[in-house]
Amino acid sequence: MRPAFRQALKYAALTLFAIPWVIVPVWLVVVNSFKPAGEAAELGLGLPRTWAVAENYGIVLDRGAYLTGLLNSLKVSVPIVAAVVLLGAAAAWAFGRSRSRWLQAAYFVMGLSILLPPSIIPTVYLLRALSLDGGSLGYVLTMTGCRVGIVVFLATGFVRAFPPDLEHAAAIDGASRPQVFVRILLPLLRPVLFVGGVILVISVWNDFFFALFLLQGSANATLPLSLFQFASGTLQSLNWNLVFAHVLLTTLPLVAVYVAAQKRVLAGLTEGALKG
Amino acid sequence: MRDMTRARAAWLPWALPAIVLVAVFFVAPFLLNVRFAFSSWTSFRAEITWNGLDNVRTLIDQDLLANAVTVTVLYAILCMAIQNAVSLSLALALQRTGRVNTVFRSAFFLPTLISPLAAGYIWRGLLAPDGAVNSFLGIEWAWLGEPATALVVVAFIDAWKWSGLITLVYIAGLNSIPKSLLESATVDGAGAWTRFRRVVFPMLAPALTFNVAVTLVGALSAYDVIAATTGGGPGDHTRALNVVMRQQWGQGFFGTASALGFTVTLLVIATAVPLVWWLRRREVTG
Repeated sequence: MRPAFRQALKYAALTLFAIPWVIVPVWLVVVNSFKPAGEAAELGLGLPRTWAVAENYGIVLDRGAYLTGLLNSLKVSVPIVAAVVLLGAAAAWAFGRSRSRWLQAAYFVMGLSILLPPSIIPTVYLLRALSLDGGSLGYVLTMTGCRVGIVVFLATGFVRAFPPDLEHAAAIDGASRPQVFVRILLPLLRPVLFVGGVILVISVWNDFFFALFLLQGSANATLPLSLFQFASGTLQSLNWNLVFAHVLLTTLPLVAVYVAAQKRVLAGLTEGALKG
Repeated sequence: MRDMTRARAAWLPWALPAIVLVAVFFVAPFLLNVRFAFSSWTSFRAEITWNGLDNVRTLIDQDLLANAVTVTVLYAILCMAIQNAVSLSLALALQRTGRVNTVFRSAFFLPTLISPLAAGYIWRGLLAPDGAVNSFLGIEWAWLGEPATALVVVAFIDAWKWSGLITLVYIAGLNSIPKSLLESATVDGAGAWTRFRRVVFPMLAPALTFNVAVTLVGALSAYDVIAATTGGGPGDHTRALNVVMRQQWGQGFFGTASALGFTVTLLVIATAVPLVWWLRRREVTG
């Protein structure tokens, strides 16, 4: 076979695969979120016979508590991601440079924290003992503690791969340690922190399991939690139009960020920062 | 600066916040779980007392434990197999960085952005008895309602959600294979299949180790997709450990719920330790 022909064949196959894998699922959500309840119940892929865009999205914004959910998601996701990246980078610097046996032991435990599943029920117990149960702060602290290991693990290898000469030179020039961290370490670690950040944003924004156990009441509910409550509330006769409208609105913020940073996300994840 | 690298105590403040957070919110709950799993603790009696293996016995008597372990392990294996087969194929097709490939990579990454919960609702709609999949195939089958397919379908949805990310890890792995190695294999007369089997596949070991371990371990903690699709049904065919844990917790049986959580931990350890060891060894011998 000629290479050009093979190439064309490959892309034809990929397109054929993309139709059921990506296009149909997305289309199903979008088009059915525009239909009235009865029509959406057929779960067809055709265009709406009657359009009910304003009604559906109005109901989701109102009854689905979308805006509260959006604010709550932002309120917890931003601190978690910022804390994990910054504290993770700082710890990785220490783990990468210090030869203290205690710190190396701590580094090993952090590695285990990536692999082992978090113990959710004792966490609820612990947060109750600390009077942090049910609210955002307890959730943020727990998520940070359970996720910081990934960034520490990725970044420590990165720190070790670099000789400390640059940091020494800066210190001789009179830079304080925080200055060295901000001016040398953070720029050095940028690629790996970016990759860690991307994975973190996806997993934190979409977290349902922790939220289900740790966040109580609709006042604290994040988007996945409000989607679940909304869908469960109408489960007997699952109103597909409304569920899909909520799904679309819940996914949209992340897709918007992704579209804006797409090139860097794909390049970052494929340039092998995950290796090792 | 010399004294900076020497003064060991000076490094502690930089690592301390992360260490404290991990110690309090990961390690402490982990240790508490070992106690709670073997304790009597319910919403009816707040006092927590050791009761040995009573929780395990209760779960066995109610026919919950063996089924949950089987479902969880099967789910994890199915999920791992589907995810890695799809992602490795996509990565091989999209390895080279070019404009067209970037568009495809970008499209196939999309499901990764969708929450597992939302992914569950989407596929529940697609696979409904009167849904798009059945009307395309011209059949009527309750994919999520029939014991024969429910578990496979739920695992498939989970795999679908994560495949985009795993594809990128494989592409990173493929691109780290030195070009010269492939060229010399071609010069020696190796065909495409031989090159894949003898050069690409062994060199892909680090990415493979990572992906197989991550997907297996992740799927052992399955909950979200099941909650959005079957809720554990039909019967108990998709009732994974975390699903039973949530049910026990909801009914106020905190001790048995902890025991179920601890079972997930044991499964993860039992899976991860030999897997990482075996795959690492294979990496070295190639």
